[in-house]
Formats: sequence, C-alpha cells, structure tokens
Amino acid sequence: MKPHFLFPYWCRYLGYGLILVHIPITFFGKMHGMNNIMDNNSGSHGLFTSEHLFFIGTALMVVAGLFLVAFAKEKVEDKQIWQIRLDSLRWAIYLNYLILITSLVFVEDTGHILELNLWVPLVFFVIRFRWIIFRLNRSLSRES
Amino acid sequence: MKNNVRVERAIKNITQGELAEQIGVSRQTINAIESAKYVPSTILALKIARVFGKQLEDVFMLEDQD
Repeated sequence: MKPHFLFPYWCRYLGYGLILVHIPITFFGKMHGMNNIMDNNSGSHGLFTSEHLFFIGTALMVVAGLFLVAFAKEKVEDKQIWQIRLDSLRWAIYLNYLILITSLVFVEDTGHILELNLWVPLVFFVIRFRWIIFRLNRSLSRES
Repeated sequence: MKNNVRVERAIKNITQGELAEQIGVSRQTINAIESAKYVPSTILALKIARVFGKQLEDVFMLEDQD
C-alpha cells in the first residue's frame, strides 16, 4: 500500500505547532483591535491591509495546521488506516454540505458561512479520524 | 468472514507486532482482523496465510451470511 499524496509523519507535529502558535497571535491581534475580515461590518477592504495580514496570520495558519494534522501519514499507513481516512472524509463532506445547505437557506451572513466552510470539514475529519485511531489503540492495549 | 489468525499465530508462537512487521501493516490492523472487526484485502489475506505456511481457506473462512 503506497500512501500517495500524504505528508510525512512529522508534519502532524508541525500542524499542531501551527495551531498552537496561532493562539497568542490571535490574542495579540484582538488586544490591538484587529477585526475578522470575514465580518461584513469589519470595515476592512483590500488586500494586504493590516487586517488582511492578521487574517493570514491566524485563520490560514490554523487551516494549514489542521490540514497537516489531517493529511500526515501515520507511522504505519496501511489499508485499514486508508479506509478509516476515507470514511472520515466522507462523513466530513456530508456534514459540511448539510451545514452549508442549511445555512444557505436560513442564514443571511455569507461571510460566516464561508468561514464555517473553511473549518468544518477539517475539524470534523481530524476529530473522527483520531477518535477511531484512539479506539483501535485502546483495544490493542486492552488485548495486551 | 471468520478467521483463525489468533490460533495460527499462537501455533507459530509470534506476537501481533511480529506478524504485523512481517506483512508490513500496523499492529492495530492485525488486532482488528483477529477480533473480526476488519476484513482484510485479498492481498493481505494471502500474505497472512503465506506467513503461516497455510492455504488461504485454512486461515480465512466464509460464514453463512457472507
């Protein structure tokens, strides 16, 4: 089984690092009055304004981190892991489109719908995938 | 599909980890196969049977509901 299009194993820790690093940056930015550019009333328009750079430094850092966590290889990447990956991805897409369709019908705030769309698939995928792996490891330690 | 991987492994006196290493999968996968929570691919089933020096159907058996 050749795991195509997956990042090396260590990228998972780089991903966790990026997610952790964004916390103080967000905190610092909020303290200095930075608004989320996805807010319709943030008043910030145009590329590479300070608020746009703040957005790159926070939201995109977390998305990149989540992406690395989600798509880094396991120590041994075999067919079973691959199947769990595909199942988790399928459920993440189902959930994402369910939320997307529901919010397109019932919510007017398109900025936040886009933001939701940015997070939901990756967060759900990571949680489900890690949960199944955790359960497998738990049953393994129970056996031995 | 049921299997007697656990029995064959005990006869051969190897651990889940050793079997996993010999066929290039994770220990979790061997454990899931033994607990009948995961049905291996044909290639993996053939590799497992080969480690035990058995025919495929001596290790993996179809059940009535399959």
